[in-house]
Amino acid sequence: MRALLAAFATLGVLLLGLAPAATASGTDGPATTPVTAAGTEASGSEAGGTGETYVIGTDTTFAPFEFRQGGDLVGIDIDLMEAIAEDQGFEVEWRSLGFNAALQALDSNQVDGVIAGMSITEERQEVYDFSEPYFTGTVTLAVNEGDESEISDWEDLAGKQVVVKTGSISEEVANERQDEIGFEVTALDQTTTLVESVKSGNADALIDDYPVIAYGVQQGSGLVTVGEQVEAGDYGFAVNQGQNPELLEKFNTGLQELRASGEYDEILNEYLGAEDDGVDPSSFWGLIVTSLPSLLNGLGNTLLVTGISFVLAMVLGLAFGFMKIARNPVLRGIAVTFISIFRGTPILVWAFFFYFGLPPLIGVPVNIWVAGVMTLTFNGAAYIAEIVRGAVQSVDPGQAEASRSLGLGHGKTMQRVVLPQAFKMMTPSLINQLVIMLKDSSLLLAIGFAELLYQAQQIYAANFRVTEVLLIAALLYFIAITALTQLANYVDRKVNR
Amino acid sequence: MSTATTDNSGGRVVGERVMVDVQGLEKSFGDNHVLTGITDQIREREVVCVIGPSGSGKSTFLRCLNRLEEATSGTVQVGDYDLTDPQVDINKVRRHIGMVFQQFNLFPHMTVAENIMLAPVELGNLTKPEARKRAEELLDRVGLADKADARPASLSGGQKQRVAIARSLAMSPKIMLFDEATSALDPEMVGEVLQVIRDLAAEGMTMVLVTHEMGFAREVADRVLFMDGGKIVESGTPSEIFDHPQQPRLQEFLSKVL
Ligand SMILES: Nc1ncnc2c1ncn2[C@@H]1O[C@H](COP(=O)(O)OP(=O)(O)OP(=O)(O)O)[C@@H](O)[C@H]1O
Ligand SMILES: [Mg+2]
Repeated sequence: MRALLAAFATLGVLLLGLAPAATASGTDGPATTPVTAAGTEASGSEAGGTGETYVIGTDTTFAPFEFRQGGDLVGIDIDLMEAIAEDQGFEVEWRSLGFNAALQALDSNQVDGVIAGMSITEERQEVYDFSEPYFTGTVTLAVNEGDESEISDWEDLAGKQVVVKTGSISEEVANERQDEIGFEVTALDQTTTLVESVKSGNADALIDDYPVIAYGVQQGSGLVTVGEQVEAGDYGFAVNQGQNPELLEKFNTGLQELRASGEYDEILNEYLGAEDDGVDPSSFWGLIVTSLPSLLNGLGNTLLVTGISFVLAMVLGLAFGFMKIARNPVLRGIAVTFISIFRGTPILVWAFFFYFGLPPLIGVPVNIWVAGVMTLTFNGAAYIAEIVRGAVQSVDPGQAEASRSLGLGHGKTMQRVVLPQAFKMMTPSLINQLVIMLKDSSLLLAIGFAELLYQAQQIYAANFRVTEVLLIAALLYFIAITALTQLANYVDRKVNR
Repeated sequence: MSTATTDNSGGRVVGERVMVDVQGLEKSFGDNHVLTGITDQIREREVVCVIGPSGSGKSTFLRCLNRLEEATSGTVQVGDYDLTDPQVDINKVRRHIGMVFQQFNLFPHMTVAENIMLAPVELGNLTKPEARKRAEELLDRVGLADKADARPASLSGGQKQRVAIARSLAMSPKIMLFDEATSALDPEMVGEVLQVIRDLAAEGMTMVLVTHEMGFAREVADRVLFMDGGKIVESGTPSEIFDHPQQPRLQEFLSKVL
């Protein structure tokens, strides 16, 4: 039994060991700060200057303005701000919070400014001070590659199915032109859904923000932008009204310098233009090259959270398994209650509960790793407890009788005679449970835990290559699970001859 | 009732000292009153065979002698220990009582030698090398010297039961209990196990055997107990029991099995 426990410990260590290797690629990414909602990363000029540091809030994923690549925060907003900081001699500390949360943080002065692909509107100007526009937003028409001859401009939409984003400028534009040209409009809630509708042929064209669609085109979404773009307002960097005027000043000065030096165009071109250096990101190989760092990062987190949870679930599961067959009715009651609660409820409920429901109860925020590990551990422990109980009870009672007849006490009988046989029987079920836990860890994406599937979602939210990215993610899961199963079986054979 | 000097097995003399003293033993499983009052004394070096119809409580009686079953009432004294006293350290008592089961109950995850070494090593009586040596001696005694490193699964039934006997001898018990030690064996293997028991008897081991082998009981027993309905119905020498049965129930039982 000791040998077997050691084997499981080894397995755990191996799992833990795999993760850092996989996360090494992304330093500031969700691996080290998986709570993207609280992700903090400092960067800025080496030139130093005054050395003043400003905290800047931004969105989580709004490609090409801000998104994660290989775990690093990148995008037009990010690059622009950092170039300005370098030029003007200040430092930037990023808070990747999400659009609304960033504005809330600005309201309460938790951040000094917000740059998040934000349009300058009259309403916003009442509460914030905006910089000079650093980008002019436009709305574009896009169709499947190959359809551009059929639909090359707005007039060609007559009689076509067009999808737009609910509540966005694109919807307004569509509504304005609908009657004149004569096309059908369907409003959907996400850009990804728009792209998928066009790609699957359910719609003939989409109307959406040009930069978002153009970045996807560059990344191989399979669409092309066509026709004349429609202006849709200017993007600006915002500070709280009356606060940080010198920061606004520096931003405006820096922006002018970048425009003059041509660096501004370079940055825009990097995200919107056709890329000419290195691999072509629109090819499948290019997709792998650009997405693999993030995905491996996610896989590392998947393995790490599964490994930690499995080791803890083993400990808890053994404890509850033994309690369930204990003579003491109180212990039995506790075990039965625990097992039936966690077997009788969906994992997702507990993920939400530990992450969102628990903090108000205990008055402290729960770290996403803690919430994730608790979710997988308790669910796994309930199943492992049943595996342990079943295995122990299936050992022939004659074995324990023979041992006790030799004068060995209950503890020694368990340890030397019953458990080794029980472990041997339960090993296949435990390996199975480990695989189930690894797969279940993907559910943690619902609370924003940066595991493999979450990373995949982030990637196709930016480049719209849903099918390919999901297939790559599935392949990574498959490889990891196959390798893990082989390893576990090997350890099993070594230990349980 | 007891015959202190029966000479049944080659000059072995039953002692005067009482090894097992059972007084008014009763045992129920729920409503099922299995033992309805057993009183008997077993002396040092005595070989007692227990016979009787199926379900008469023979196994239950035997299991009460090492407290695998707890007595519902009455007392069971083995050597200096009162098994029905809750204060008694039952694990200590059991070291002096060897038990052999119908189904052998060898530990399948250990080798033959490890099976035998387990108790002496775990209980701190012997070091590993000493225990290994003892295991080899015991295996030699049951004629399995070459099987020390075999796995139980590779042995025949008769070999398994001989290993089980060697295992229960490892703690040098004062008394051995056998519950139908040959019933699970193919007929051709019964002899080799009976021979080991016969040798033990000749060496003066105190033994209680539940058995269906009437010929063997007649040959090896100093005394035979006939149980029926949870009671000892008749007790006597093999010739008294087999040649001159008194109770009608014993006569009826013998007419069926002989
Ligand atoms: N653990 C138990 N729980 C409930 N009833 C039991 C238990 N063990 C034995 N019994 C019952 O006690 C009675 C006597 O059983 P026991 O095994 O002592 O008989 P036996 O004389 O050894 O029979 P056999 O010759 O078939 O082995 C039977 O009716 C049996 O069903
Ligand atoms: Mg029986």
